[in-house]
Amino acid sequence: MGPPHARTSGTGCLPTLRGVSKLESSPPPQMNPPVRREPRPPSVSGLLVAAVKENWRRLRTMRTALWLLGVLALESIVATVVPQEINVPQTVADWRSGEAGPGEAVATVLDAIGAFDVYASPLFLMTLLLLFTSLTACLLPRIKAWWRITRHSVPPLTRHIGDQEHVEQITTDLAPDAAHATARGFLADRGWRTRDGDLGDRGTQVAGEKGVVLREGGSLLFHLSFYVLLVAIVFGQLLTFEGFVGVTEGESFTDTEIGYWIADPGRWFGPEDHSGFQLTNDEFRVEWFRDPQFGGTPRTFEADVTIETAEGDVREATVKGNSPVVVDGFKIHLLGWGYAPRVVVREGRDVVFDGFLATTVNDNGAFRGAVKAPAAEPDVGLDVFLIPYAPEGDDGQPVITGAPWADAPLLVFRSYTGDLQLSAAQNVNTLNTELLTEGPRGGLRLGQVVELPDSDVTVEFAELRRWTNFQVSSRPQVPWLLLGSALLLLGLLPALYAYRRRLWVGVERSADGRTLVTVAGRAFQRPQAFEEEFAELADDLRAALDAPDLTPAARDEVAPR
Amino acid sequence: MTSAELSRFLFSPMTLVLYLASAILYLRAMAAPKLDAVDGKHDGSGAASLRWATGLAILGVVAHLAHVVVRIEASGRLPLGNMFEFSSIIALTTVLGGLLVIQWKMRRPELMGFVMLGAELTLVLSLLLYSDPAPLQPILDTWWRAIHVTTIVISFGIFSLGAIFNALHLLRDTAESRVAAQAGSSFGPNTVGAAQAPPTDEDADADQTLDSVPSRVEADVVDIDEADQDAAYRAALREVLTQRVAGVRAPWTILGGVALVTLVFSLIWWDPMVSVQMVGTMAALTLVAWWAVPYLPSATTLDSLTYRTIAFSFPLWTFAVITGAMWAEQSWGRFWGWDPKETSSFVTWVAYAGYLHARATRGVKGRRASWLGLVAYGVLLFTYYAVNLLIVGLHSYGGIDQTVG
Ligand code: HEM
Repeated sequence: MGPPHARTSGTGCLPTLRGVSKLESSPPPQMNPPVRREPRPPSVSGLLVAAVKENWRRLRTMRTALWLLGVLALESIVATVVPQEINVPQTVADWRSGEAGPGEAVATVLDAIGAFDVYASPLFLMTLLLLFTSLTACLLPRIKAWWRITRHSVPPLTRHIGDQEHVEQITTDLAPDAAHATARGFLADRGWRTRDGDLGDRGTQVAGEKGVVLREGGSLLFHLSFYVLLVAIVFGQLLTFEGFVGVTEGESFTDTEIGYWIADPGRWFGPEDHSGFQLTNDEFRVEWFRDPQFGGTPRTFEADVTIETAEGDVREATVKGNSPVVVDGFKIHLLGWGYAPRVVVREGRDVVFDGFLATTVNDNGAFRGAVKAPAAEPDVGLDVFLIPYAPEGDDGQPVITGAPWADAPLLVFRSYTGDLQLSAAQNVNTLNTELLTEGPRGGLRLGQVVELPDSDVTVEFAELRRWTNFQVSSRPQVPWLLLGSALLLLGLLPALYAYRRRLWVGVERSADGRTLVTVAGRAFQRPQAFEEEFAELADDLRAALDAPDLTPAARDEVAPR
Repeated sequence: MTSAELSRFLFSPMTLVLYLASAILYLRAMAAPKLDAVDGKHDGSGAASLRWATGLAILGVVAHLAHVVVRIEASGRLPLGNMFEFSSIIALTTVLGGLLVIQWKMRRPELMGFVMLGAELTLVLSLLLYSDPAPLQPILDTWWRAIHVTTIVISFGIFSLGAIFNALHLLRDTAESRVAAQAGSSFGPNTVGAAQAPPTDEDADADQTLDSVPSRVEADVVDIDEADQDAAYRAALREVLTQRVAGVRAPWTILGGVALVTLVFSLIWWDPMVSVQMVGTMAALTLVAWWAVPYLPSATTLDSLTYRTIAFSFPLWTFAVITGAMWAEQSWGRFWGWDPKETSSFVTWVAYAGYLHARATRGVKGRRASWLGLVAYGVLLFTYYAVNLLIVGLHSYGGIDQTVG
């Protein structure tokens, strides 16, 4: 185990800067013999401070960061394999009840560790917190060191210019002073930090360094961008709004607290933050590839809408699957659609139900909806299936197909009477048949009316439109996330590709009275890239010194121009 | 012949056969010149094999590209719409990356045999997912998606190259360190090339402004040491690989590993024929790798190649994940929803970041970093195969409308 400073640099988080910091801070080994202190009785507070210091030091190590990253990855894998409540609530419910998944017992354990909602679980938040603490602990000294380097760093001279990885010799007729000045100017022009030195009988030397600020700076920018992303994500959660609403063609909805079917505002998004625009669904269009091979794959998918802002500005727009429309900072997406058959139910002469059903598609291609008519006596319920394409076969009977285009729509239903139990929450498109008795079934073409046998109830399939499912969202964090991502990439590239290298140019008077210039260099990363760069630099320097002749040793190392 | 049939013919058998033939010749070229060098003669058979291998690889690429063009023609869209097409382009990227960078720029044709075999394996697997060209649902048809999918697939292809080098590095490094352990000093330490210790400075204390502390030089490609060229060293490498370790001969350990991997894959495709083919292919691949160890570049070189390949691909992957989020924001109205696919590509990113960190730290030495790299590739495979085929999320590639409605 070395002296304290050596240990810190070995396990700490300043790998790229190690060379520099050592050079500037470490006294020569002989001057720093292991100091033996008299053991003092430890005080409680002293122990505490020591413990905190030790843990802080440990937190700063990259090994800790690696472990934390590993834990983060593991938790995310759990979230991939175990269904997540935010994505598939129904599957999670099935796992919990033991209907699906590994069984109830396992589900209980999973629930206890928060595996059904990993990203909100204390374990995950804890990991994130530790990671960011570790990151902060790691970054603070790195930023300090980087700052120092940008301001004060000068490359060291070397006594062993001939022992470096790349060495090249040039003889010139320039005087040593002039050669030295040329070399320094040459390096400075190319963005190298330089230092001059006089090595006495070994002549003079220019040392140069490049790339350290850029590489380390990039790495810092990369890691700092995580804070931008984190802040954007956290504040985004609080300020965001997301709402879903279905609108039948010809109808409209207004952006208010109560205007949505489902609304999911962030904690800091209040009712007054709605903009109050009104959206009318003028027409929804969907077209399909109709050849048998790809039948059913939609080709276009868009809704013409009219939007009236709270200030009274009216504009028309088209919302497509991939191109949302933005109103007052609210993005309107088209998420889905369904057929909206208008069904009229009459009891005698009284209309007990008249409305568009927002049907949704089933696996077999039929669109399902429900009629709930509590105004009837007793309640009447219809379980409705709209089959968009049911052309008449040779026998005059409709042929049911799974095709989605409404070229020959057929509405079939099962009727129920009894108690709809509307006081309890239920899905709009299904009936709670617990207290209902099943009655007759029927099938209708557009415009037809049927009377249910043994009653005075009639059902009319009056009209067929479509309804569109819109998502309205406000996410003020998006530009910040973009900024964070841009910084991340911007930092990542130099962090990986910039490289630190040093160059030395030694100038001596040679035995024959000419001037001998030795160029030497080494790279700390990306040695291949430096090999090419060094050859080029040596070439250019030779040209600058105007010395076409090389010493024999160097000649076969440099390709002639 | 319909365009669907033509596209299929160009893919299988054309591309598959050409790639396989080229792989075999590359492997022969790898072994040939060095075997000849034992008695100081080059009969040129290595060079001839290499020429043929390269020619066949180029022909294979041409057939592959023709297949892609026919598909574009037939479906009228970017050929990146389902898993078969992804696999196909991933393999194409691997082959092109190998030819352009590994063979022509870095002049390491001895690695090409494995590159071609890796691509072949990807393509054979993709045959299981084969689908005729078909149009795309409109929700998938956006520029963000085009950018996202293209970069993901390219970076996947490059990560695959990295994984090949990574696996070869571990194999070669094992052999080298065993030789070093047994032969003591006669062959030097396992990282043969890295032994170029920087000059030390005895009178450093005299003047602190002098370069007294030669800083760490990242182990990167260092030319093959003399010892590598040495036939005796190769023979020693061959020897240690056939020795028993913990009572098992090396090839059997490898086969055991293959069986395990196959088992995991069989859980995904419950098909005995596929399992048999998988065992066959993987076993052949690993046995070839095992046989090739003495002819490979030094462990240091392989390690450095792995690092450089992964470091090249990482920003690309980062970019691809970001554009994916933008696409989601545009198409689904949310940029990130921890959908299994999103989660999994995030994990992949973290895993590769872990590898880069491990490589950048002194504390974690070469082999351990290398294992991390393999784990990261495993996560990538999981993201691609398991998440796409087993776990249903918004990102499904079935072809029939699932995202909308
Ligand atoms: C999600 C979290 C993180 C990611 C994705 C990440 C990613 C990266 C990447 C890609 C590099 C460049 C590696 C290279 O230069 O070869 C890097 C470098 C580095 N990271 Fe992180 N990092 C993360 C968290 C952390 C944390 C928590 C710490 C500290 C405790 C840390 C410390 C470092 C250090 C010291 C370097 C410089 C290594 C060098 O260039 O020699 N990182 N990181």
